[in-house]
Amino acid sequence: MSVEVSRRKFLQGSVALSVAGASAISATNLFSSEHASNKHQPTDSRIPSTITTKTGTGEAVEVATLCEMCVNKCAALARVENGVITKLNPNPMFPKSKNMLCPRGNAGIQAAYDPDRLKYPMIRTGEKGKGQFKRVTWDEAYDAILNGTDKFPGLAKILEEEKDNRSSMLFCAGEGMAEHTFKQFYQAFGSSNWLNHASLCLQTVVSGYGVTLGGYPQSDLDNAEYIIMAGANRAEAIVTPDTMDCFKRTKGRGAKLVCVDPRFTNTAAKADKWLAIKPGTDLAFVLALTYVVFTEELYNKKYVANYFNGLEDYKNSVITNKYTPEWAEKITGIKAKDIYTIAREFMMHAPKAIYYPGRRSTFATNDFQLRRAQAIFQALGGGIDTKGGLIFGKKLKLGKHEGLEPLYARAEARAVSKKDHPKKGESGYDDCAIVSGGGSWIAWRNRYLEDRMPYKVRGMFCYKHNPMMNMPNTKKTAQMLKKMDLVVTIDTMPSDTVMYADVVLPECTYLERTDPVKTFGGVEPSIAVRNKVIDPLFETKPVRDILRGLTEKISKPLFEITKKYDEDVQDELEDSDEAEVYAEFDLTLPFEGTQEEVNHHMVASVYGEEAAHKLHKDGVFYPDMDKFYKKIGANEHQYYPEKEKAYSVRGGKPKTPSGKVECNIANLASKGVDPMPVWKDEYNFKVEEGKFRLLTGRHAQFTQSGTSNNSMLHDLIMTNFIWINQRVADKKGIKFGDMIEVSSKTGSTRLKAYPTEKIGPDTLFFIHGFGEESSELTWAYKNGGNDNAVIEDVVEPVYGAAAMHETNVEIRKV
Amino acid sequence: MMANYAMAFDYKLCINCHACEVACKEENGIDLGAKNHRLWIDEDGETEGDFWNLARDKITFIQMQCQECQDAPCLKACPNGAIYIDDNGIVRLYKEKCDLTLACMKACPYDARYIDEKNAITDKCIFCADTRLARGETTTACQITCPAKLRYFGDLDDEESEISKILRERKHFTLKPELGTKPKLFYLE
Ligand code: SF4
Ligand code: SF4
Ligand code: SF4
Repeated sequence: MSVEVSRRKFLQGSVALSVAGASAISATNLFSSEHASNKHQPTDSRIPSTITTKTGTGEAVEVATLCEMCVNKCAALARVENGVITKLNPNPMFPKSKNMLCPRGNAGIQAAYDPDRLKYPMIRTGEKGKGQFKRVTWDEAYDAILNGTDKFPGLAKILEEEKDNRSSMLFCAGEGMAEHTFKQFYQAFGSSNWLNHASLCLQTVVSGYGVTLGGYPQSDLDNAEYIIMAGANRAEAIVTPDTMDCFKRTKGRGAKLVCVDPRFTNTAAKADKWLAIKPGTDLAFVLALTYVVFTEELYNKKYVANYFNGLEDYKNSVITNKYTPEWAEKITGIKAKDIYTIAREFMMHAPKAIYYPGRRSTFATNDFQLRRAQAIFQALGGGIDTKGGLIFGKKLKLGKHEGLEPLYARAEARAVSKKDHPKKGESGYDDCAIVSGGGSWIAWRNRYLEDRMPYKVRGMFCYKHNPMMNMPNTKKTAQMLKKMDLVVTIDTMPSDTVMYADVVLPECTYLERTDPVKTFGGVEPSIAVRNKVIDPLFETKPVRDILRGLTEKISKPLFEITKKYDEDVQDELEDSDEAEVYAEFDLTLPFEGTQEEVNHHMVASVYGEEAAHKLHKDGVFYPDMDKFYKKIGANEHQYYPEKEKAYSVRGGKPKTPSGKVECNIANLASKGVDPMPVWKDEYNFKVEEGKFRLLTGRHAQFTQSGTSNNSMLHDLIMTNFIWINQRVADKKGIKFGDMIEVSSKTGSTRLKAYPTEKIGPDTLFFIHGFGEESSELTWAYKNGGNDNAVIEDVVEPVYGAAAMHETNVEIRKV
Repeated sequence: MMANYAMAFDYKLCINCHACEVACKEENGIDLGAKNHRLWIDEDGETEGDFWNLARDKITFIQMQCQECQDAPCLKACPNGAIYIDDNGIVRLYKEKCDLTLACMKACPYDARYIDEKNAITDKCIFCADTRLARGETTTACQITCPAKLRYFGDLDDEESEISKILRERKHFTLKPELGTKPKLFYLE
């Protein structure tokens, strides 16, 4: 093989990883005195003077922790020299991440030492959204939350005016190990308005698999012989262990990987076969695969006889609707003969064959039905709860930790207005058919903006969440934040959302705090912990400590309001002592004690003291780890011997209440949802002449907007580019690097062009998480295009998820 | 010699994630900036044809860094004698002797060197010799972190080492063998 090697070639670069145009970043950390400005504090000995630090040869401490640069929670060993984190290494002991850290994980140091970090509490002094704040003490910040300032009302006024309706405050949180801690505050506070990232993320896939198989399974990619990966990009959107397992045996080494994607991704490059598909038509592809399996009787007859409900109904539906490969070819663009081949090959290898469930945002409005169809197709081959197929796995128990859930008589139910007389075929709620725990973010936001709330919601607490960047239609989110009387944000970075806050509470980064211990289920189950690596920098604190301080301030004064309006509490007070009654409403209770103490108890109470100590030291624990865990080679470890692996925990039986795969769910029909996956004309891919379908997605070097200001990652990818088909670009006279304006009904954004044949002529793509508007972010400010400024807020009908790939846009060279 | 370090790549497994590059920069304190890299990933091959008929099998990602030539053109080219091979078989630099004549950069057929402005020297991959190896570790930053687990680092003089075994068992090639530089970086077929 001859390889043309050149650094110059590298510099010109591929654009997926464009480093075109040398970086203007200085090597000096902006914290250092040389660059000190009002924003950046002078040098602190705990902050390195350069952005990258060379590992020294002196004394070092190693602390086991878990990465939080994305949601995977890979295990890391942090090296600390003289109080400075100089390196993050992978922790080999964790079966989930198997001794790896991805580029973001390696760049985690820069999250801790980011000069733009929130450093101390702040309260708003200027116009809302303008980002004008003044620095205050923690006590002043807590006081502002309780009593307000001349700019905004506090909780006391709001709850007084709303007569102790605790639901007049919204609570929202992003994914993270401490989301639970924040949720305890929400529960104790007594609101019923909770929104998390689920409806902007994996709600429909988790629920689709949940109602069909009884759980959202993992994939045993390590042992599968045949994998269909459609609408998932594991080479770039890294998920552990999937990314590590997926590509090891492709290309003639024991497993065949078929990638289906409207874009030629790195996964497509690594797959044995790549099939281009029209966006949003995967359901037609799966229905046609299913058609072949039914008509040719390729399914696992024994499995189907034991574990299926409604098979005949579904079979009839698929066959009488004539979901043939020829039919699907017209809809998807995938050749009928490929569909026949894939259906046959899949079933030949089943049960060691996987239709990869994926975990991503909802792209099309039919996503829930797509996931149901995938799950049923998978089950037809019998690859459920079995080696090489989808697996439920085992989960190790943890001890209990007490929360507090007082009942407030005046707290209204969740602000989801149920329809009185839903028509057949129409959703039972105003926004969507089913309201999940995490709620429907965009439906909630839009209803709030349109004054369609059953009662007044006056303010919100926002933890580790960036609604300005993370959901379609940025303008509407800005309006919502402006309309709220009181916005409290708890975050590490001055994100676009933080700019709209009334009170800003700075959390420390994941490297400066211990988080709740977590159990990781799977074929090789374990328990892992995020230990604090260094003490919090500046005046930041872990969310647990923040909430302890806040609740100490607000608990009693708010109880006084409850006493005034809550008839139940008034009744109770007639018979009992006030202290006794207050104990049920004492918001400080969930935050008593340190996280370390709570973690120790949760492990020691089940596995003993020694296990708790081992977990703290190694970061990972599972029973018999001493016996099982072995280094096999530089790149391989044994976590469990083969016979101890939890490939099958139910003998193949689905986890649904019936113990069967549910093909036809009458209960869904009663909510206006198709009881079986069917294709509808409205799902067809349509783009008006002159327009394009906008696709968004992820890659390996950034995690949404959460890492957008990371100096090291920014060094890898300076900005995001818009992929446009080469021939279309030629016709329009668009060249690499030209500035393009992308616009829709929602709004517009600008970014540079990358003409390529890796995308179809009627689609455009760019990476999510760029184009922030917060001027406090040195690297992220106005860097690249923001997809959510353009994406329309299309509500997926079943769970109210945001459907991200339903927007057609226009482009213009500027 | 204490060891004769070398690296082998199961190069086809690479997913072009750049974890190796970040790990290297963080470990060795390499300055940010597109031109400052001890290692990089080359994308070999182009897609051909139009979108719906894209020929795609030619795309490969290749791990690039100093090839640790046993007959090193950079060493021979340096007029100051600043380049030497250390006890671990690694091509190194006497920093104080380097005055940036850049002869080594021009001589290197693999484009492995760059100018480290902070230290005013030419720099390249040295298998983490003055960081990890100096701490007594036996791994490199790129090897240990790689999500594809495609990097094998070890001692060629130890017949029992994993790298020795893997080179005995699997076909491999070196880059530009015709130049006679005798690289110690091996690409596994
Ligand atoms: S995949 Fe990367 S960013 Fe995510 S947890 Fe693992 S190392 Fe961190
Ligand atoms: S690859 Fe270049 S820098 Fe490395 S030893 Fe060979 S000639 Fe020298
Ligand atoms: S870390 Fe491994 S997979 Fe990622 S780019 Fe480097 S060599 Fe390739």
